[in-house]
Amino acid sequence: MRKMADLERKLQRKDRYQASLYLFCNFMALLLVTAYSAMMQSATVQRVFPEGGDSRKQMYMIFGLTLFGCIVFTLYASSLFFRKKSRQMGILMALGASAGKLAPGLFREVLFLSTVSGLAGIAGGIPFVSLLWNLFRVLVVDSEEMELELVWSFLWIPALLLVFTVCCVCVMAYRYLKKTDIISVVQEEHKNELAKNWGRWCGPVGIVLTVAGAVLGYFGSSVYMEIARAYPPVWLNGFYLIAFFGLYLVMLHTVVHGWGIRRKKQYKNLIARSMMKFQGRQTVNNLLVISVLFAGGVFALFYMPALGSGVLLAAQRMEYDYMGSWRADQQMLTQEEIREKAKTYGVTVKNWKETEYVSLGIGSKVQTEKDGKLVIEYQELAAEGRFLSESTLASVTGKEVQVESGTYRAVTDQDEGNRLYLMTAGDRITNMSTMEQIPVSFAGYTCCNMLSDRDTKSVYVLDDGDYERIVRGAEEEWRGNMFLFQVEGEDSYPFAKDLFYSYVDCFGAECEIPSYYDRVEKVCAEQEGQVYWGDTEVMTQVSYEKPDSTEFRSYWAYMLKSRILEKTDSLQTFAVFFMMFLFASIVCFAAAVVIGYTRCRTIAALNRYVFEDLKRLGASPGFLRREVRNQCGKVYQIPFLTGSFVMYLFFLMVFYANDGKYVSSEFLALLICLGILAVLGGVLYGIYQKTLSGILRELKIENSREKDRKK
Amino acid sequence: MLYVKNLYKSYQVGKTDYPVLKGISLQVAQGEFTAVMGPSGSGKSTLLNCISCYIPFEEGKITLGGQELKGLDARELARVRNEKLGFVFQDFMLLDGLTVRENVLVPKIIEGTVSKEDEERCVTLLKLFGIYGIREKYPAEISGGEKQRTAVARSLMNQPLLILADEPTGNLDSKSSRAVIDSFLEARDQMNATIFMVTHDSFAASFCDRVVLLKDGKVYKQLERVEERSQFQDRLLDAIKEMSGDDK
Repeated sequence: MRKMADLERKLQRKDRYQASLYLFCNFMALLLVTAYSAMMQSATVQRVFPEGGDSRKQMYMIFGLTLFGCIVFTLYASSLFFRKKSRQMGILMALGASAGKLAPGLFREVLFLSTVSGLAGIAGGIPFVSLLWNLFRVLVVDSEEMELELVWSFLWIPALLLVFTVCCVCVMAYRYLKKTDIISVVQEEHKNELAKNWGRWCGPVGIVLTVAGAVLGYFGSSVYMEIARAYPPVWLNGFYLIAFFGLYLVMLHTVVHGWGIRRKKQYKNLIARSMMKFQGRQTVNNLLVISVLFAGGVFALFYMPALGSGVLLAAQRMEYDYMGSWRADQQMLTQEEIREKAKTYGVTVKNWKETEYVSLGIGSKVQTEKDGKLVIEYQELAAEGRFLSESTLASVTGKEVQVESGTYRAVTDQDEGNRLYLMTAGDRITNMSTMEQIPVSFAGYTCCNMLSDRDTKSVYVLDDGDYERIVRGAEEEWRGNMFLFQVEGEDSYPFAKDLFYSYVDCFGAECEIPSYYDRVEKVCAEQEGQVYWGDTEVMTQVSYEKPDSTEFRSYWAYMLKSRILEKTDSLQTFAVFFMMFLFASIVCFAAAVVIGYTRCRTIAALNRYVFEDLKRLGASPGFLRREVRNQCGKVYQIPFLTGSFVMYLFFLMVFYANDGKYVSSEFLALLICLGILAVLGGVLYGIYQKTLSGILRELKIENSREKDRKK
Repeated sequence: MLYVKNLYKSYQVGKTDYPVLKGISLQVAQGEFTAVMGPSGSGKSTLLNCISCYIPFEEGKITLGGQELKGLDARELARVRNEKLGFVFQDFMLLDGLTVRENVLVPKIIEGTVSKEDEERCVTLLKLFGIYGIREKYPAEISGGEKQRTAVARSLMNQPLLILADEPTGNLDSKSSRAVIDSFLEARDQMNATIFMVTHDSFAASFCDRVVLLKDGKVYKQLERVEERSQFQDRLLDAIKEMSGDDK
């Protein structure tokens, strides 16, 4: 060893351990971001997730979170790397190495480490996403839509992150080299980073702010719309920052004071607490990021039961096994044809009902935007609704339905879950062919699960006389028919599928519309010389060519309802959603666990001397184990509890805000979410135990399991 | 060899300035073994760090071998540290990834390249300080005394004008401390090395040619050694008592 380069090489070889932590973190960050962006930008996901839809926004939001988490942990890992490296650099500086002399070696090392780990992460991200995707297809659900089609342009996201991480690590290296106080460089590793020592108020205040921020953030928009009569400005989302600050206070309290009763535990956790406190700044930041990542992961996981339970419960509650509705100008399959088809699958049709309805314009006060202000104004033709006569509904439900003349009722399910989408302030109905009107008033709700669905057109009931009057002269395009039937014994999935495809084939191009396509609004727009927005690219369209697509199944205006199809295909229909959100949660949890693991490793590395001193002072292995557990436990426990609590609260609010109450499918979803949290807690406990035993090994503290083994 | 004149240095904590050195002046001659003593907070380590060019100072002048240190840029300061100064620290500051021999060679490696003569000099130093037998061992495998002797050998590798030692016996037992002091005496006697040592240890200081007592950032007294070591130590202890007594 004669030259500086030889010396640096040897030192780097010896520092493999600390470099490996940085390599691991950078590799994981790039791997997770690559995998997420590959999946997010894949043609498969882009096709299935409705453009501008909530699910797509949530997917991007979780990606933002993941990206934030990954950036934080690569920065954290690089700062740890430099802290460890600083002593070595300080000694060389003290012995006369100038920044210019150290720079080539240091830059070569950090460039090599960051680039190699980053590129490996990007390269590993693609097989990782394929592996997870295919595992999901094999183990959970498979559908035609789930063929993974990667769009390679996604690579710009991880490439940008790679450049960012490389730049960051180079800037850090430059800043270290620029330091003139050599003593501070040498002592950098042992420098304490005291957290803010705010009083014990910060814990309770943090909880209050977290809850208040979440509630204000969620309900702030609707309150603003109510008061200001305008669409809420973007800054209202700033309320969520209050929740974020609240979380920070909670973490600060956890690190500085702990949650025990002070007098009782004054000395019990003194050592562990002081260790945490003296590296408090980073610990608080880490805990905060882990909490946010856990919250993101839990949010993504909750998405599945929140969506799935509603679908399954709705299928369970259908009064009939099948229901189809079509415009009178369409050539639908006849009863005989359907019975014949059923027979070929060994299915017997029973309780066949065929009824008619009419689509009418409803006059009502509606909220519209004018010059940036929300105004409530009356429109004679506010929306389209499907109207049945009371006797028709009675024949369908088998129950007497009383509707007074001059009134109408809205059809809802037994939970009244679709109330928000129904027109309950209508004062007149209009025959869209003759433009004849009848004044009406809203007379309440009536229940029929089969006819109420927030994804199909709203259904209303009129008095028989009023119905007769208003339907007169209605052209076929505004009139419609429905069939409903049950099957004898067990249903056949192949029959349901066959019927569904034949049913779709009966419809013409004029019916290739989503349920939110409002023909009454279109008439109004055209009367004013405007193009209806549903005829532009703004509205997501459905296509007969993709009858199995999520969009078609969810939003087609004349979708066949079939219990067996809903039950069997719901997972398939939403498979891509499930896959994406499951994947998002895996990525968030992986990022959180990596940060947690790195934090625990830091605890061991920075406090090694303290533990050595405690051993010399006669601390038993049991005592030392408790001190390590007290710190490592909090790294996983507090963020998990906080993230889960915040997301559970958020979902409680979302469910409540849907219709102002909790319905059975939502209770079921909340129960499933609790179960998921329990499982997740168990998995996390396993990871924590694994981390703990690694840390104990590193600190040479006897593990309790080893002790048992020895006995 | 070393001239320090009216040196001022303060630390800033928040918006408050805390003066540590308040106009210190002293000089060290070629081949002289000088110790600096004083209570905690008197400015000993700060003085050493200023002379070492580790931290900048506000006012005053430090001249080393005729070269004034203030005003030198980072590259020139690094050259001074590498070519004109040798360092021995309380916590040894050896590079854990290098063997004893390699650690001793580090100043030469930093300078540029290691020649055959440098290797021979390294062997001479290793033998002189009794660490030749452990030359291929790593710092983690040797005792505190051996580590410090390695550090002393390293400090002499570039034949510096001045060796700066910050509490070199602070982390050592009495036997190892004695071995380190012997190393310094060896370096002075055989290589005519100039040594400037900060210490709390009156025993270690009693081997020096001169002891500078610092109090509250100023030179309180300087004691020249003219007598036997033990008598010098007694005189030193009396002076320290006297310095402490002023507080009462």
